[in-house]
Amino acid sequence: MILQMRYETLNLKLETNVVKIMRKITFFLVLLVFCCSSLAFGKVYIDIDSPAFQKFTAAIPDFKNIGSNKDTENLSVRFSDSLTEMLKITGFFRMIDKNAFLEDQSKAGITAGSIDFHDWSSIGAEFLVKGGFQCNGKDLTAEFRLFDVVEGNLLTARKYWGTREEIKVMVLKFTSEILLALTGERGVFETKIAFIGKKGKMSDIYVIDFDGSRLVRVTRNRSITLLPHWSQDGKKLSFTSYMRGNPDLYFIDISKRKIKRISNFKGLNLSGPWSPDGSKILLTLSKDGNEEIYVMDLKERKLRRLTYDPAIDVSPTWSPDGKKIAFVSSRSGSPQVFIMNSDGSNVRRLTYEGRYNTSPCWSPDGKRIAYEGMTNGHFQIFSIDEGGGNFLQLTFEKGGCEYPSWSPDGRYLAFSLRKNGKIRICIINSNGLNLRTLHEETGMDAICPSWSPRFNFY
Amino acid sequence: MKRNIKIIGMLILVLSFSFIFMSGCAKEQVVKDEKLVTEEGKAAVTATGEKEALLKEEEEAKTALKERELVMQEAAAFEAIRFDFDKYDLSPEAREILGEHADWLLKHTEFEVIIEGHCDERGSGEYNLALGERRAEAARDYLVTLGVDNGRLTTISYGEELPLDPSHNEDAWAKNRRDHFVVVTEKK
Repeated sequence: MILQMRYETLNLKLETNVVKIMRKITFFLVLLVFCCSSLAFGKVYIDIDSPAFQKFTAAIPDFKNIGSNKDTENLSVRFSDSLTEMLKITGFFRMIDKNAFLEDQSKAGITAGSIDFHDWSSIGAEFLVKGGFQCNGKDLTAEFRLFDVVEGNLLTARKYWGTREEIKVMVLKFTSEILLALTGERGVFETKIAFIGKKGKMSDIYVIDFDGSRLVRVTRNRSITLLPHWSQDGKKLSFTSYMRGNPDLYFIDISKRKIKRISNFKGLNLSGPWSPDGSKILLTLSKDGNEEIYVMDLKERKLRRLTYDPAIDVSPTWSPDGKKIAFVSSRSGSPQVFIMNSDGSNVRRLTYEGRYNTSPCWSPDGKRIAYEGMTNGHFQIFSIDEGGGNFLQLTFEKGGCEYPSWSPDGRYLAFSLRKNGKIRICIINSNGLNLRTLHEETGMDAICPSWSPRFNFY
Repeated sequence: MKRNIKIIGMLILVLSFSFIFMSGCAKEQVVKDEKLVTEEGKAAVTATGEKEALLKEEEEAKTALKERELVMQEAAAFEAIRFDFDKYDLSPEAREILGEHADWLLKHTEFEVIIEGHCDERGSGEYNLALGERRAEAARDYLVTLGVDNGRLTTISYGEELPLDPSHNEDAWAKNRRDHFVVVTEKK
């Protein structure tokens, strides 16, 4: 904790933005119970990536006002509702409806000693979140506790100081703690998804938070814009745009909105992913007469050609260790996914199922490659081991599912879903369950999602 | 596409202006000649002959303009060629259309062509950009074998980004898998 305080102090010296300083001062976190249970740090409750995974059943009663000031903004319900919503979004929780609760909330407290866990186990809850808050003018203090109902013990607890506007930040932070306690990983709340919003002939890059909030339009190119890819530090996006006539490759600095042209050879200059160490990008160029995959060293702007085949070679993706590249080639007659070493050697075919497989994306743990493939006339998302085993169909939609992109923890895939004449961005768990729509907009098709690395938003 | 229509439109405008200008000059000439005739008391026969010649010239210019307009219309109406799903090889129908385009281009050597390759919305956008490029190049290569100078032909792929018909069905997809030809009098 002391470390964190020091870190905040350091930040203060560097920050120039007064608002940011205020926010950093007023918002920090204290570990309520330092080592409340060995369970919280050691045991991972269940393998949530398993296709046989059963959702955690959890209950969240309204938070208690433990201060002396009146709860004029219905914070009590807002805390419990938004925490419930966040846990639902993770796809790992089944939330029990408040109407089914048996506990007399006027009598029960928010600590283990003041809870009758039988009230919760009898309605099927495995986990219980209780919380309390106090408000004083603009300031808001809240504490959160996660209990194992069956064992009757506390798993993790946190107290947050902040302002009333930061209620959502507190909820997101504690959701991350819950995920860490139950799954061994914090989840991806502090990530964003970039995508292409297409209105008629114009398309631009948009960015949205993992929970579907805070939509921001990043480019205004008044042209066709395609294929966004995040830099490793999350500060830039590469993309291809026709803004100067030819499909050229650009970078945009997201906070400054500054656009720089990186590659403008005759023909295609298609944006590809950044290397895991951030020093290189993959791209597709047709300058030599047909589409080939290249790697560009960003410091020296030097190009190296990786593929040599008269067929179409596109859509490269790095393995997380940067040693291999999966890509699409039509060299066997129809588009299929291939794998090669990062120097272009040792090319081998990965997909054999179906006659149209494209858009590979390598999972962050390196084990799986997701792609889109055509089956029964519809495009669906699949995943497969690097060795070609454990072929798995993840979507079964009637329209078309395209452009899979892994979350940085490898637990979710974002993709675009065409259905009822409209294209939207959806998210599924990596086992194919829990499909939810992330963004859908009237008059705009949302395609080509790209999941960001982890940020420190809050 | 719009820009190219504009280019053609402007050309027509310029041509019509120059025509008006030319005929204006001619009329002035006639008046001067008449003055000359009365002053010097010579027979008006020459003047009448010249008048006829000028009228004929005027008529010819009109015909030339009409012909020019026709050529422009032909240029603007270059028929697109269609492709099968995930294919860029030319069908017999496509070859026939390209044959007509080649004949026209060999006759009207002042024109150049931008060949746009397009795809339907299915499949990855990235792969479709490559496929669109192949479709444009297939048409270019065939036109070259038919004798059209390579330097007059430019290719660009728009992948699945600019559908002719934005609907999501087989009919629309068939229309959208195409090469579109933009005929211009000078390279952009």
